[in-house]
Amino acid sequence: MVGPMYDFLANPLGAVRSTFDKAIGSESDPSSFDGKDWGAVDLFRHFLFDQARLSQVPILNGATINWIKPNTLVRFRGMIQDMLGNELYVGAYKDGSAWRTNKFMDISQCPVEFNSPDMRLWERRLLYCVPVPGLSSWAESTSDVAVNMCMDSTSEQRDKRRRMDIEVVDHNDFPVSGDEFEFSPSAKRMKEDPKNEGPCSSHVILPDVDRDSLPCLVKIYDSPESELKLNDVFEFVGVLTFDSELPSEKVDQDEFSNGLCDDVSVNLPSNKVPRLHCVIHRKLTGYDFLQNSPPTEPKPHLVKEAREALLRHLTSILGNDGVAAHFMLLHLLSRVHARADNVAVGKLSLNLTCISKEIASVFGTKLNIVIKNLLPFTKCIPLTVEYLNTVFLAPKKDYQINRLIPGVLQLAEGSHLIFDETCLETGTLDSVGIENTRLLKALAELQKVEYDFQYYKMEMMADVQILVLSEGKSNILPADIIMPFQPSSSGSSDAVPAEVLEAWRWYLATVRSMPHTIESDMQKVVENDLVTARQADRSLGSQDFSRWLTMGRLISASFGETSLSLEHWQMVKELERLRIDRLK
Amino acid sequence: MFLDGNEQRLFGTFPSVSCVQARQVAATTTGPSSPDEFASSPIGNTYSSPATRTRRRRRSTTPLPYNTPPTNQSRFATSESTPTTTPHRTRHHVSTPSSDGGPPPSSDAGDDIDEATPTFVWGTNISVQDVKAAIQMFLKHFRDGQSQGSEIYEEGKYMKGIHKVLEMEGEWLDVDARDVFDYDVELYGKMVRYPLEVLAIFDIVLMDIVSLIQPLFEKHVQVRIFNLKSSTTMRSLNPSDIEKMVSLKGMIIRCSSIIPEIREAVFKCTVCGYFSDPVVVDRGRIGEPTSCLKQECLAKNSMSLVHNRCRFADKQIVRLQETPDEIPDGGTPHTVSLLMHDKLVDAGKPGDRIEVTGIFRAMSVRVGPTQRTVKSLFKTYVDCLHIKKTDTIEEDFQFDEAKIQQLKELSKQPDIYDRLTRSLAPNIWELDDVKRGLLCQLFGGNALKLVSGASFRGDINILLVGDPGTSKSQLLQYIHKLSPRGIYTSGRGSSAVGLTAYVSKDPETGETVLESGALVLSDRGICCVDEFDKMSENARSMLHEVMEQQTVSIAKAGIIASLNARTSVLACANPIGSRYNPRLSVIDNIHLPPTLLSRFDLIYLILDKADEQTDRHLAKHIVSLHFENPESTLHDVLDIATLTAYVSYARNHIHPQLSDEAAEELTRGYVEMRRRGNFPGSSKKVITATPRQMESLIRLSEALARIRFSELVEKHDVTEAFRLLEVAMQQSATDHSTGTIDMDLITTGVSASERMRRENLASAARNLITEKMQLEGPSMRLPELLDELKKQSSFAEVHLHDLKNAVAELASEGFVVLRGDSVRRV
Repeated sequence: MVGPMYDFLANPLGAVRSTFDKAIGSESDPSSFDGKDWGAVDLFRHFLFDQARLSQVPILNGATINWIKPNTLVRFRGMIQDMLGNELYVGAYKDGSAWRTNKFMDISQCPVEFNSPDMRLWERRLLYCVPVPGLSSWAESTSDVAVNMCMDSTSEQRDKRRRMDIEVVDHNDFPVSGDEFEFSPSAKRMKEDPKNEGPCSSHVILPDVDRDSLPCLVKIYDSPESELKLNDVFEFVGVLTFDSELPSEKVDQDEFSNGLCDDVSVNLPSNKVPRLHCVIHRKLTGYDFLQNSPPTEPKPHLVKEAREALLRHLTSILGNDGVAAHFMLLHLLSRVHARADNVAVGKLSLNLTCISKEIASVFGTKLNIVIKNLLPFTKCIPLTVEYLNTVFLAPKKDYQINRLIPGVLQLAEGSHLIFDETCLETGTLDSVGIENTRLLKALAELQKVEYDFQYYKMEMMADVQILVLSEGKSNILPADIIMPFQPSSSGSSDAVPAEVLEAWRWYLATVRSMPHTIESDMQKVVENDLVTARQADRSLGSQDFSRWLTMGRLISASFGETSLSLEHWQMVKELERLRIDRLK
Repeated sequence: MFLDGNEQRLFGTFPSVSCVQARQVAATTTGPSSPDEFASSPIGNTYSSPATRTRRRRRSTTPLPYNTPPTNQSRFATSESTPTTTPHRTRHHVSTPSSDGGPPPSSDAGDDIDEATPTFVWGTNISVQDVKAAIQMFLKHFRDGQSQGSEIYEEGKYMKGIHKVLEMEGEWLDVDARDVFDYDVELYGKMVRYPLEVLAIFDIVLMDIVSLIQPLFEKHVQVRIFNLKSSTTMRSLNPSDIEKMVSLKGMIIRCSSIIPEIREAVFKCTVCGYFSDPVVVDRGRIGEPTSCLKQECLAKNSMSLVHNRCRFADKQIVRLQETPDEIPDGGTPHTVSLLMHDKLVDAGKPGDRIEVTGIFRAMSVRVGPTQRTVKSLFKTYVDCLHIKKTDTIEEDFQFDEAKIQQLKELSKQPDIYDRLTRSLAPNIWELDDVKRGLLCQLFGGNALKLVSGASFRGDINILLVGDPGTSKSQLLQYIHKLSPRGIYTSGRGSSAVGLTAYVSKDPETGETVLESGALVLSDRGICCVDEFDKMSENARSMLHEVMEQQTVSIAKAGIIASLNARTSVLACANPIGSRYNPRLSVIDNIHLPPTLLSRFDLIYLILDKADEQTDRHLAKHIVSLHFENPESTLHDVLDIATLTAYVSYARNHIHPQLSDEAAEELTRGYVEMRRRGNFPGSSKKVITATPRQMESLIRLSEALARIRFSELVEKHDVTEAFRLLEVAMQQSATDHSTGTIDMDLITTGVSASERMRRENLASAARNLITEKMQLEGPSMRLPELLDELKKQSSFAEVHLHDLKNAVAELASEGFVVLRGDSVRRV
């Protein structure tokens, strides 16, 4: 593409403006740009993807926000937590005789004379995004490039501090609650010194932003509604802005705006929530969270190697319980790939039983660490009566502030949850607790979460892997597979080299996204097997068959194959036999 | 919505001023923005660049205050909108022929109007005179379809309306937009596109008419438009809708408190006590006089506001949220703000579903009160003209012509019955007859109310009994999704009050309030009760009333009420001991009282038969579910949306009547069913059908006619109804010892053959006792009696338990005394 070289990173608005000028020069009527792009986005796309400069765009997070300049290009990775509706803004206006645009900006450069005919009203969508809940530390995007970006104006000392940040991140392989994290030295310093940040930040924002969960208000231009859905994980590239006048905002509320005080700027003041005017967005998959660019082609030997190694590791973690390790592997690979009526096809939740409190203390933590190291979004929830009675599992709409209050179960697609039921003791559930158990049951059975909109409830689809640790079969979370856990040793806890972990993550991401089919003659075999099984045992139902088929699919996928073979079908039956034997 | 008092006075006495004010209002409300707008915007600017005028179509009411006809001051007033004196002064300069408002109602402003020159609404080709004439024609001559023709001399619908308003001293006239559309399509189009201007003219015309009829009428009457031809969804509102009339549906989620908005302020001098003239609000601000106006006083900074002499108007901001069915997958509901004035204030409460007609408007966001800079943002809201509560579900379903046509096409297909059956829960295979029954339940029969007060329900109640894992619950879930007002509860967690209604104390006011339970909430819908057998005895007994009388009666805490619960009940139950025991009757299997059981029209047994064919079907189904796109495996079925629309249309618009032929067939069939109970040469009488079945049959045949969108129940409907009933009865009411249908099994829980057996036993026991024991003689123990009895060949199989029952019966006749185990003849 031939064209003037813009400084896309430091002055993206310049590029927007000059393309607008050029376009208006040839078109002359700004109304033709209503709800459309005039070529600016293409330019950015070319720059970011064709020239592969995406990695140079700094990532916006709690650490970087202190030195990223406003009105520069940034990236933000997060989950769409709430949708705040649409916003009308003056898209284009006439300044003297020339048309100007306000696209990708918050405030107009020169005051627009209002009501003037020389003005076009355009529309943009507001999305409230948060970092993906339960994001594992390895999946956090480090922004090495960003340092260079700001190098010219960054002092040595800042660079040093940044390195420390990375160290902190690296040391935090363990689940650390947000609070602890905040008291880590670097976070504390971050809180103390943003004032003397020097030339790099022209606006000092957020002394009080939680470093771990920097939310972001993303403004989306000209894209169809169906493209961005609640709970989707996206990467937004766009212009970062702050409103400068905000401290006075509270005073200015006349009664009219008071009544409408869902006003975004009141509830989400921009000194807490940065604004990102999105130029380009793309949906993220499991791959995008891997640090090194992965081999694109899933080579059979790589897949098999990774499978063997991972299975070995899982077996040793699970105290040499090979059968459990097999099921665990399948469980980690599962995802909902289709829905028919109320059936979520492809889910495979696992309930490891025979786990007492003592065993849980040994294996639970290990399992938790392993899973955290393997999957990008994970959470571990110890279930207690008190927890069930107090926690807000379902997101709830608060009409007072017109926001969706996130609940624990508002999760991105492909999240992994460990429920530890071993600490559950007898007690009384109150109405909240009963509602919560109902929600958990619905999640486990149907992969749906009911969002509470006060006057009615709305079901949202979920795709969450559920692992339950319990002493007996869990009644709160009915799992697909009940697996009595029989360790023969206390399980190893050898450190795994980083590149091996990386290979395993790549393996899981690849295998999960593979398509799968069944040959027609294999289909016959499977059908016959199912009929014979049912003739022999009337208690087998559609749930059992579903489980077998899901297992068959996952087993063959775990070998990197895309269609079910007889051999793998035999493995399913063998695994089921071993499991049923244990249940007796 | 209008303010009484001063504005009318203004309108009455200084009509031209009022016009000016009104126009001014229109001008400022479009952009109540920077305070200096007026100083900078007016007149000159627009005149100097006439070329731009054509482009500013929608900004028609902007800077120039004189180009729009007068509207009422309060109608679109925001806090900023007020008349000023400035325009009044400049008025004569501006209102030159090219652009003038409608003729003011009184002559004192007549001098600057030239009726001959067409006046146009700013920036449009709408002639004010044309619009005025069209509105006049409409108001004076519009007649309802029915009254047309025969009674030409009768007054038009809206003239009648105006008279009524005058009688009631009302403040508004509701105008159905569809009437406008029917009468004058062009006017309708103009009204929707330029509501500010056209409504203002509407008001003027209306007031003209009012003053003709009753010159001294004090109040100002306004037009409220409702029922637009097409309603917009909240999601599709976009910048091009600004300043247009829209109609939205949604649910109120929040109401602000009522905001008193000052309209006129009166000041008092603290020094001399002089009261100023009322000062009107000027763009949201009151100009406080800096000094006393009284010549003798003239004290500086002495004026203070006298609150109780000021005039206020009510205002309220309400937030409306999309109804759940408009939300696309993976979205959250949108909301929009509504601005309500005067009479509309508090017209709706949070939770109400309303349809609102109003004007979609945008307002700029100012950065600060003192700052002139404007953010590039606009806030949008709907200025309400009319709200209508749409609480009945039927109204939620609006059908346009095309949709109705499509549904009718569909209904004409010969295989529509089978097709609907297939479309019902397509992922549950087999069970076709059960699905047909459920289909009938969805469509329902006709409810009938006789003049005598007796009523017959039209709702069909169905009970599914069956083995676990036979997808009963899935069927229930599916029906719940499909039915217009479905409520899904589980018997295990339901209490009697939760199902019917309960009285609770409002924590704030301490008043007792009646809260509806599931059955009342599903009035005119289907109440799905899972695990019916697990329901507590108490809760079940509440169902008796609901299922036959279709009401819920409450008498507690000072509240005596009877609530409608015209609901169909779809229940499912598991047999005792998890598997159905075919040797026992339905009643013994599920332990439901026969009184309740007989209220179900259809009882289906869904048994898990060890059938290879079924198993293969299941296997195939599941395999295809896992390895193919599940949607592609289903063909030739209606999607849920169409099905719902189909059902809803039929329920609301089709009311089939029995044809003579059908009635005859019903009678014949019923008699035949009854006759089947009489075995030739046998004295035992088996009830194979009861009047309840007759009613069920009528309901079923009506539902079947409805499925075809037919207004007439025909013979084949009746035949099918018989078949459906028989299939259901065969499963549930078959007496397994004889193999015949026996309604006694349902109505009393004991089959006729069983009862016969018991009677025989009792008489045998009586004979035995008469034979063996003397009056007042020594008592005999039951086992001894049993041994004696067993000697008789026909009673070899008798159990002690049965004998005990028989003897107890005799005891109740006073023939014997039964004490513990011993029997004594008395």
